[in-house]
Amino acid sequence: MSIALRGIGKQFGEFAAVQNIDLDVPTGALIALLGPSGCGKTTLLRIIAGLETPDEGHVLFDGRDATLWPIRDRKVGFVFQHYALFRHMSVFENVAFGLKVKPRRERPAPKEIRSKVQSLLELVQLGWAGDRYPAQLSGGQRQRVALARALAVDPDVLLLDEPFGALDSQVRHELRRWLRRLHDELHFTSIFVTHDQQEAIEVADTIVVLNRGRIEQCGVPSEVYDLPTSAFVHRFLGQVNELPVQSRGGRAYLGPIDISAASALGTGSEANIALIRPHEIEVGAAASGWPAVVVAVRVIGPIVRLELCAEGQPANEPLEAEISRERYEGERFVVGQKVGLRFRRWQLYPATGAAA
Amino acid sequence: MAAAESRTAGRSPALARALLIAVALSFLGLFLVLPLLTVFVQALAKGVGAYAAAILDPTAWASVKLTLLVAAIAVPFNLVFGVVAAWAIAKFEFRGKSTLITLIDLPFAVSPVIAGLIFILLFGSHGWFGGYLKVHHIRVVFAVPGIVLATIFVTFPFIARELIPVMQAQGKDDEETALSLGATGWQTFWRVTLPNIRWGLMYGVLLCNARAMGEFGAVSVVSGHIRGLTNTMPLHVEILYNEYNYAAAFAVASLLALLALLTLAGKSFLEWRQPELRHAARQGRDRTRREIT
Amino acid sequence: MAAPAAAFEVKTLSPPPPPRRARGVLPGFGLTLGYTMVYLSLLVLIPLSAVFIRSLGLGWGHFYEVVTAPRVVASLRLSFGASLIAALINVIFGLIVAWVLVRYTFPFKRLVDAMVDLPFALPTAVAGIALTALYAPNGWLGKWLLPLGIKVAFTPLGIVVALTFIGLPFVVRTLQPVLEDLDREVEQAAATLGASAAQSFVRVIMPALWPALLTGFALAFARAVGEYGSVIFIAGNMPMKSEIAPLLIVTKLEQYDYAGATAIAVVMLVLSFGLMLGINALQHWALSRHGGR
Repeated sequence: MSIALRGIGKQFGEFAAVQNIDLDVPTGALIALLGPSGCGKTTLLRIIAGLETPDEGHVLFDGRDATLWPIRDRKVGFVFQHYALFRHMSVFENVAFGLKVKPRRERPAPKEIRSKVQSLLELVQLGWAGDRYPAQLSGGQRQRVALARALAVDPDVLLLDEPFGALDSQVRHELRRWLRRLHDELHFTSIFVTHDQQEAIEVADTIVVLNRGRIEQCGVPSEVYDLPTSAFVHRFLGQVNELPVQSRGGRAYLGPIDISAASALGTGSEANIALIRPHEIEVGAAASGWPAVVVAVRVIGPIVRLELCAEGQPANEPLEAEISRERYEGERFVVGQKVGLRFRRWQLYPATGAAA
Repeated sequence: MAAAESRTAGRSPALARALLIAVALSFLGLFLVLPLLTVFVQALAKGVGAYAAAILDPTAWASVKLTLLVAAIAVPFNLVFGVVAAWAIAKFEFRGKSTLITLIDLPFAVSPVIAGLIFILLFGSHGWFGGYLKVHHIRVVFAVPGIVLATIFVTFPFIARELIPVMQAQGKDDEETALSLGATGWQTFWRVTLPNIRWGLMYGVLLCNARAMGEFGAVSVVSGHIRGLTNTMPLHVEILYNEYNYAAAFAVASLLALLALLTLAGKSFLEWRQPELRHAARQGRDRTRREIT
Repeated sequence: MAAPAAAFEVKTLSPPPPPRRARGVLPGFGLTLGYTMVYLSLLVLIPLSAVFIRSLGLGWGHFYEVVTAPRVVASLRLSFGASLIAALINVIFGLIVAWVLVRYTFPFKRLVDAMVDLPFALPTAVAGIALTALYAPNGWLGKWLLPLGIKVAFTPLGIVVALTFIGLPFVVRTLQPVLEDLDREVEQAAATLGASAAQSFVRVIMPALWPALLTGFALAFARAVGEYGSVIFIAGNMPMKSEIAPLLIVTKLEQYDYAGATAIAVVMLVLSFGLMLGINALQHWALSRHGGR
């Protein structure tokens, strides 16, 4: 099922949780709503689920206006951040709940319910856990039960609110991959909310970045990561170095480096800043580029992070550069070493946007 | 010098601790254990035979039956109210919520005697509805309905104030999940909400029942003290006591004391099952207060 | 997919938008709130208002005359005075009991903890006759106190004893959760900064306990002011000396002096509501100052 949002707005008292949201989710897509806490992503998800009613705008399911449909008729599976498993029911009963509460003429026979629940539990790799109670399961297992329970009613859309937020990083990583595989097998439309950019990039087809109740950017992960349309998105999707752009004699400079030719943004504004990701800084011989001194070296598994104090930059705001382990093994940068910096890529933004 | 200080500092807590425990236990012994012990000792003062006779006395039995009847009506009334009020207050946001909670607590701030008085003022022979009731030969005051009404008033907040914090703490996720899985409102309530609050519900019922069976002041005002007809157990205790029939008075009182001990045992059991219940009421009040500010 | 198709317009919809439910998806808001309001009004608010409306019928002059009669003034003074003393006793000993129960371990602690609720569970009439039996001149305790010249039963002192019993759980139960939540690291931090145990108690612990102490005091006081059952047996009930206000209401009712009973009831209600509101406000202020908890 495809979902479309048109001009969605929702206020909580004085606080505008989401404003003027337009979004299209095609059938079978796996979409991440990404943003910091309070950006309205959960509200948006709850509006799609029918758990909140928007103050303005429309929710369309397959082109039909579903704004005021009751939640029961929407055929959405909703998975809460803290799973909301029914504590007094066994895992089996939890998953069977949606089938058992159907009106009598639609309700499957007990035998059918049993086999369907069992196959769902197998799907989430918990075939053995039917008789357990939620309290006896680990966080990751509970999350999978919540997922199986949502899938039991054959939803057209699966909505997940911070599905991995409460799990430790190892389990998180496994579940992400598993959710992706599950989605590819079952082909329902999925929307999940996360504040973790890594998670959004790893799992989703499309990332919708929200900030202060509005959509900042929407696109495939590589596009959002590499071509952010705003400083907010650039900062939110990964580490960045921020450098002021200086203009001298009608030309724009980052330190001593003239970027006028390569710069897309005009040099008219004095207050422009450049955002550069750590891997976009090239660390070379002292004679080349912007002179800098290595102030710290940290080996982090496959990459090595260098902290660099560039000439003319405040000493307490060193730049961060990342180089590969292989390169490090070859060149062995040490603290105090003089190097030269070049930038492979950068993005310029008006500095006013920096406050956002 | 510093070493000497630290040594005394190390010893004085142990001393203070023993002293404090002794003070606390003496206080509780004096005010709780001794009175309770007295009830049973006095009840058996004239031997087991007199005890049994006092309890098996027909008017004593009538008072037991009336007490059970009153509780059997009053508790379910307040149970339904408690669940309904807790649903409205815990699951929805609306203006005036804190005022509503205060109003529900109001009967706690009213003297039991005044609780009885208000029903006399309404339904007594000189009351607002007195004339109407007289014409239609309906007795409320000095009859069972009056006792029930006064008991409902006095026990009014018990179940609601236990359930409100329990339901607030549980949030809405479970109910929203059930609805998203296709359950109707009723199915959600019976299959999800009710099992979730069952311990809190029992807790409230237990406390409500203890007060309903033990209420004295309010019931005393509206009952008319008609022996065998409108005497509940606490009133029967009073009558026997005023007749200087101490052993019999304490015998009936010992039944009520047993009820109290059972209530405490049940309460401890429920608190063991659901530790949050212990301080639920207080936390709930704090939470609503925080939500307002 | 990258950019939302803002050009797409919803044409299928007719202009008047349907009403939107602002309260979320859970059903039953209107029903449960309505039921709550109706039940609350019928059983609490309307009956309570009867007292006030009836007292208006008295006329100011008559009302003033009734409530300033020496016997009425004496009973009110006794009720509020004895309650004040009892609540203060409970504050001191309640603090010790709560402290001991939270901070120390000793044999049968759980049993002792459970017993604290006895005054909630034990019917007041039973408590009344038990305390009377204990403190009567020939009772277990009265026997020892009499040679010392202390008479408890049938004097105002007996009233204080009964009211202390009734209010005992309130202070303990409001303090316990606060003491449990109190971060011990704060005390340890105070100790590392050189504070003695006494200093850290006065400067670190007490400020955190004030709101709860005040609440416990208010609850114990409010309960004591209205208390009837446990007091009348031990009080002696001598007009002007040991007659509490609730008893005077009952006496007036028994003499069919509804006007007099109502007038005293109004004074008591106004005083206790005013007191509760005042202390609530004070507590609110304390809570906001100390950031909750």
